[in-house]
Amino acid sequence: MVTRKIFRGRMKGERRSKRKGQSVEFADFRNYVAGDDLRQLDWNLYARLDKLILKLFLEEEDLHFYALVDASLSMDFGDPSKLEYAKQLAAALAFVGLIRADRVRIETLDQPVAQRNPVYRGRASAWRMLRQVEAIESRGGTKLATGVKNFCLRNPGRGIVVLISDLMDKEGYETALKYFLSHEMDCFVIQILSQAEIEPDVKGDLRLVDCEDQDEAEITVSAPLLRKYHQTLNAFCEGAQQFCAKRGMHYLLANNQMPVEELVAKHLRRRGLVR
Amino acid sequence: MGMIPPAIFALYFLKLKRQPLEVPSTYLWHRVIEDLHVNSLWQRLRKSLLLFLQLLVVGLAILAVLRPGWQGEKLQGQQFIFLVDNSASMSATDAENGRSRISEAKERVAALVDQMESDMTAMIISFAEQPDVVQEFTNNRRQLRDALDRIEPSAAQTDLTGALRLADGFANPGRITIEEENAEYEVTEQQDIELFILSDGRFAGVKDFSLGNLQPMFLPIGSPKAANLAITALNTRQGEERPELLQAFVQVANFGSEARSVVVELYLNELLLDAAEVEVTAGGVASATFNLSREAEGELRAVIDPGKDYQDDLKLDNTAYAVLENRRDSRVLLVTPGNTSLEAALTTERAKRLAKMEKIAPAALEGNAYQRQSQTEYYDLIIFDQCAPETMPQANTLFIGALPPLDSWKKAVDSEVVLGPQIIDWDRNHPLLSLLELGGIQIADAIVVRPPLGGRELVDSTDGPLVAIVPRDHYEDVVIGFEIVGTNEAGERTYNTDWPRKHSFPGFWLNVLEHFSGGAEDSQLANRPEKMVELKLGPTEENVEVVLPDGSRQNVAVDATGRLSFPNTEQQGIYDIIVGGRLVKQFAVNLFDRSESDISLRLGQKGEDNLNRIESLEIGFVDVAAQPPQTEVRRELWKPLLLLALVVLVLEWYIYNRRVYI
Repeated sequence: MVTRKIFRGRMKGERRSKRKGQSVEFADFRNYVAGDDLRQLDWNLYARLDKLILKLFLEEEDLHFYALVDASLSMDFGDPSKLEYAKQLAAALAFVGLIRADRVRIETLDQPVAQRNPVYRGRASAWRMLRQVEAIESRGGTKLATGVKNFCLRNPGRGIVVLISDLMDKEGYETALKYFLSHEMDCFVIQILSQAEIEPDVKGDLRLVDCEDQDEAEITVSAPLLRKYHQTLNAFCEGAQQFCAKRGMHYLLANNQMPVEELVAKHLRRRGLVR
Repeated sequence: MGMIPPAIFALYFLKLKRQPLEVPSTYLWHRVIEDLHVNSLWQRLRKSLLLFLQLLVVGLAILAVLRPGWQGEKLQGQQFIFLVDNSASMSATDAENGRSRISEAKERVAALVDQMESDMTAMIISFAEQPDVVQEFTNNRRQLRDALDRIEPSAAQTDLTGALRLADGFANPGRITIEEENAEYEVTEQQDIELFILSDGRFAGVKDFSLGNLQPMFLPIGSPKAANLAITALNTRQGEERPELLQAFVQVANFGSEARSVVVELYLNELLLDAAEVEVTAGGVASATFNLSREAEGELRAVIDPGKDYQDDLKLDNTAYAVLENRRDSRVLLVTPGNTSLEAALTTERAKRLAKMEKIAPAALEGNAYQRQSQTEYYDLIIFDQCAPETMPQANTLFIGALPPLDSWKKAVDSEVVLGPQIIDWDRNHPLLSLLELGGIQIADAIVVRPPLGGRELVDSTDGPLVAIVPRDHYEDVVIGFEIVGTNEAGERTYNTDWPRKHSFPGFWLNVLEHFSGGAEDSQLANRPEKMVELKLGPTEENVEVVLPDGSRQNVAVDATGRLSFPNTEQQGIYDIIVGGRLVKQFAVNLFDRSESDISLRLGQKGEDNLNRIESLEIGFVDVAAQPPQTEVRRELWKPLLLLALVVLVLEWYIYNRRVYI
């Protein structure tokens, strides 16, 4: 799991940190002040210059990896449902993180501010992580913005956050994504759409009911309407992508018909999330 | 019913009951709908297309239920017989657009056939000289139309009677069967049959005919204004004043309403011989006479040319044909010891025109000249007066006061001589005795002439037959039992009868000459189209063919007496008879019928509305009034309307189903 940013970790890990510490990679020199660890003195320099100079190394630390799953009712559509797909994706990414000794936390958008999910670390935690992912169920409509805000409040630390959602929020996804920006998170947005949303298979005069807020839309299916829908959908996805690109976020559109392995191994690798 | 379209209209304003469908989010849909609201006019149009179609369907259905109709023709009845006149006058081209009457008649019948319902049956009979059932009763309209196409115009005269009898046979089947004193009545229900007569009415009314179940309708074809010039006669004969010349006589009739001068052209073997211009008054007749050389022979054709500006509606009768045959004089040999009255009768001016008479004495019968000539058909007729040859000559013979030297005659006649027989009867139908009055002839003595088998007694007397005729091979022998001039017991020549003093005497000999002089007048007989032509040809073993004017050939049979009967004379023109590859005889077939050539429709008395009416047909004692060209009956339109509604409905259904894609 790769991040372009260098974050401060909490424990010794496998990633470079901004923190100076013990590793093989040289970072800087500084003058010795009383109390410094003598083990870090550069004895060669002392011999040459007769000055006590500390040799600083980059510290290698662990990485915070957050998977933020949108478990709203709207995700419970499609075959396989988008939520199922999102859970698989979250678990896959989390597992990668565990292997690389990163700190992995999986959260959903609708969980209350106070609820803190455990942090997993190490391969041994894989089973616990999977159980937690399995337990995620779709629940009433949470606003995307609220969920993200809560997440940010809970997790002040920096790290990689992968937001897995369909981004279908009537109030827009922009506010939500801006929270990530303010926390200087390295943010991946994976938008999951079901096939039925990309190619709606509908006919006749319909009253469409929104599963989250029971909002209704009356349509008479016709060729121009479907064409318009496609245009709108494309514009929506493109808008999200541009929004993310402008703000240094990564955006990826996933279709629930695409196998998760392929998405992780191919598309995310190309995007640079995994290596 | 008028409420249905508003109801449909109202239905379109009612809220559509939409099927609810749960979707993840209506987020995108709302944006789509908002976008579409901008161009919702098109949406409304699309919706109103269906509305329009539905209104159209209902409108058409309502229109169909209202049973719209217009004045048109419709057949009333169940069974129809169409009598289509295809006589010569029906070839006149005075129908609309210069079409012929026959084609208009066919069109009228076709229109009537089109109106037939499926439970109606019809038959078609064409009639001219002979009726012809073109199509028997059927309800198959295609068959009827095909049959109609088969009717061809002919050049024959019109005879409605035969067609009526034929129709009557179909319409009124044997009504009464008499069985041993009890009359049994046919119990089958008699149905009225509509009888359509499509004709120009150029024929006399039909008498002695009961229509029975036939309901006649006369549809006159043609116009009362048709004009026609026709050749009504073409004759050739020896010139009265210059016997060495032949004269061709052409009679032209004008059946139009204006006087007209006509050029008559005469062709011999397709070479123009002569032309003459004659002035024919309206409704009048004019004639032109042409001189031909006596040796002329071949096909004679007379054509009239009325000029380019003249609308001659019937072209058929503008040409006439005749056959000029080598007019070999008939030769008659009179073998007599002396008979002045007979010689006088055979050498009258008229008799000379018919035959050339030679006279020899009975003693010359032994001579070589006679022997040779009598066996070579040199003479057409040999008259043996008071004598008889030893053998019968190869010629027709006439014996006066003697019997032929044949066994059959010897056996048949026992030479009983009777005195003072009184003529009581004679065969008036035989050409030899036609137009003769033989009563009151005094005869001193006579031989009773009992003809052998096959003979025919011509004159009967109180004592037995006096004159008889017997066929021999293809000759005929006539025997007159009493001498005209005889020898009495004292050996003096004296009259045996006072017949030479009667009018019938020269008449009889003229008949004899005409009968035996080889049918010189045969070809002059008017042969009418579709009438049987009978010709004397002589028996032959060879193949006999008739070449029709159009060049087709037909094999015919000649009966034992050498007579040829040929019925297929539909065409006008010259027919060649070919025996064994040789042209033997020709005959011409011409229309020559004033009533056929007078093609304009006859106008009857003015009706109440003071309009000229086409004269009605008289059949039996029923006047069949001419029907106006259009019988006005209501015609209905609901069937095509309903069909159209169905088509629109299908279209609407299609659009409704395909509207996702439209």
